[in-house]
Amino acid sequence: MAPLLEVDDLHMHFFTRDGVVKAVDGVTFTLEAGRTLGVVGESGSGKSVTALSIMRLVPEPPGKVVKGDIRFKGESILGLSDKDQRRLRGNRIAMIFQDPMTSLNPVYRIGQQIAEPLRLHKGMTRKEAWAAAVELLKRVGIPQAEERARSYPHEFSGGMRQRAMIAMALACGPDILIADEPTTALDVTIQAQILELMQEIQQNTQSAIILITHDLGVVADMADHILVMYAGKAVEYGVADDVFYDPLHPYTWGLLESIPRHDVEEKGALTPIKGQPPSLITLPPGCAFSPRCAYARPECRRKTPELVEVERGHYSACLFAQDTDFIAQFENRVVRVGAEPRRRG
Amino acid sequence: MDKDLPSEKATESPITGAVVPPSLASPDAERDQLGEEFELVTGPARSLRADAMRRLRRNKLALAGLVWIVLVILVAVTADLWAPRWLGDPVEIDSTTAAQRMLLPPSWEHPFGTDKLGRDIASRVVYGARVSLIVGVVAVAIMVLIGLIMGGIAAYYGGIWDAIIMRLADVFFAFPYILFAITLIAVLGRRGIENVFFAIGFLGWPSIARVFRSSVLSVKENEYVDAARAMGASTPRILIRHIMPNAVAPIIVYATMSIGGAILTEAALSFLGMGVQPPDPSWGNMLSDARAFMQSAPHMMIFPGLAILTTVLAFVLLGDGLRDALDVKLKE
Repeated sequence: MAPLLEVDDLHMHFFTRDGVVKAVDGVTFTLEAGRTLGVVGESGSGKSVTALSIMRLVPEPPGKVVKGDIRFKGESILGLSDKDQRRLRGNRIAMIFQDPMTSLNPVYRIGQQIAEPLRLHKGMTRKEAWAAAVELLKRVGIPQAEERARSYPHEFSGGMRQRAMIAMALACGPDILIADEPTTALDVTIQAQILELMQEIQQNTQSAIILITHDLGVVADMADHILVMYAGKAVEYGVADDVFYDPLHPYTWGLLESIPRHDVEEKGALTPIKGQPPSLITLPPGCAFSPRCAYARPECRRKTPELVEVERGHYSACLFAQDTDFIAQFENRVVRVGAEPRRRG
Repeated sequence: MDKDLPSEKATESPITGAVVPPSLASPDAERDQLGEEFELVTGPARSLRADAMRRLRRNKLALAGLVWIVLVILVAVTADLWAPRWLGDPVEIDSTTAAQRMLLPPSWEHPFGTDKLGRDIASRVVYGARVSLIVGVVAVAIMVLIGLIMGGIAAYYGGIWDAIIMRLADVFFAFPYILFAITLIAVLGRRGIENVFFAIGFLGWPSIARVFRSSVLSVKENEYVDAARAMGASTPRILIRHIMPNAVAPIIVYATMSIGGAILTEAALSFLGMGVQPPDPSWGNMLSDARAFMQSAPHMMIFPGLAILTTVLAFVLLGDGLRDALDVKLKE
């Protein structure tokens, strides 16, 4: 059987007045039911555009898929008509947005908004949808759901709004839930609650989750696979444990080194990745990360690396990923995140 | 992230049937966890509309405007029941008595006096209110309808549509308003109230379109619009259900004020003889009649003039009050 979602060498470019912005420039991954994929990278690395491409929400023009394919249950969704796309959106593939403060419509009651996808896709009556919305609110842990459903968004706190957004995304029982930085706008304790809620929901519904974040710490306990993106390209992809414990790309190392940790003495300062992500219109020659890479060699400026399978199921787009001496430089430097074995579930 | 979860034994949640840590399992514990959030949500749900009504009620000037408008509407609607009997027919000329009754100053019998044909001015002002209100409301309705469609298309679709519609609006702005209206009415042929509606509505839409366009452009950037698309809503549904309600506040304000403007324009057109035709009364053509008697019978000019002034002012005050009431940013 075909996997739930296949993204196959996706190239999403934007044709703007200033030039072609290669927002997504070669991304491949597959997602199975019940699994979680963490997509990690800095701002502008193409994470969100990848997500929006799967939702078919990239405005075209200026956006255009110049190469590659996205298949849902084995069927390409790029050629679908507007109507068929809408049938998938919010129904089979749902999305949670970054900022819960602005992602609910201020003029409708919470319950009405959660009921809307049900009315759109399941043809429920107003009454049925309302009852279902109240049930959903209970499921995402909103107390006194009957009353709270009648509230307006401005009466909800950030954490509650994000719960409401999750309820809205879950309404139709989607196969895939895309969460674009779902916890970035929330404070740390609420973050933990929201991630926990998403895990709990996944266990109950077997939906697949694509979790987009710039924070490796957020995906650490949730993701089965991790995709690291840089300048529109996948630079590392593999099972979460492999990416965390044996990173094969200097960019991933850089990200790991820049996470604050409570299990290491707090003497040293964090090590940032120096510099800025490159402009996506004029990428540096060779490896796009080379100008910022502390370990770059002259070859890096000349040869563009491909994403290759270095170990079984573990891909890297570094020219020296197979060079054990090169990798060893980091083995000595990187103090691993979460040195203790991780607990799951 | 959640490495520091409480280490007590996990239990099954009664709601979801999922295994959750005990700290989340019972409703009471849940309340503790969400305690901070609970603080924020106590108190009755209050809608934006209720909020706006409350703020409007506090604005004395706007309220005065509203009261005056309601009064004018009541007078205009019920005119047939009392005006002809108490004051006299607004149109018919009683030829036997006309000679004695013309140009009388205000008195108990004729509170606003009579005109050059012996008709009661109060009665004519009352019937003139009908014309003014109908013109105001219908013309603005036409204007808002065209303006919303044009502005909505320009803002939501952007690009070439935006360019075409907004340049067309610029062309409309470039013409002198009254002259354009007169030309339009002349081209349409028959002089009458329908043409006045049409002319005002047709010429007024560009302002509405501009205001609505900028409003939609700012609302469109909100994440809930993306969320609605991600939910699978169609474009018309997003425009009507998700964008309109959030973008329409400045239109309500602008339309209210425009009713005043439309009443003024109708008066101007009737004054110039392009609007309502004699013998039917309209505040504009009454002013026109009064010109010749400005010194001998100033009441002929004063009362229709006052009617125009107060009614237009009332709409502007109400519009101003609505602006303050609907502006979320002005929250006390």
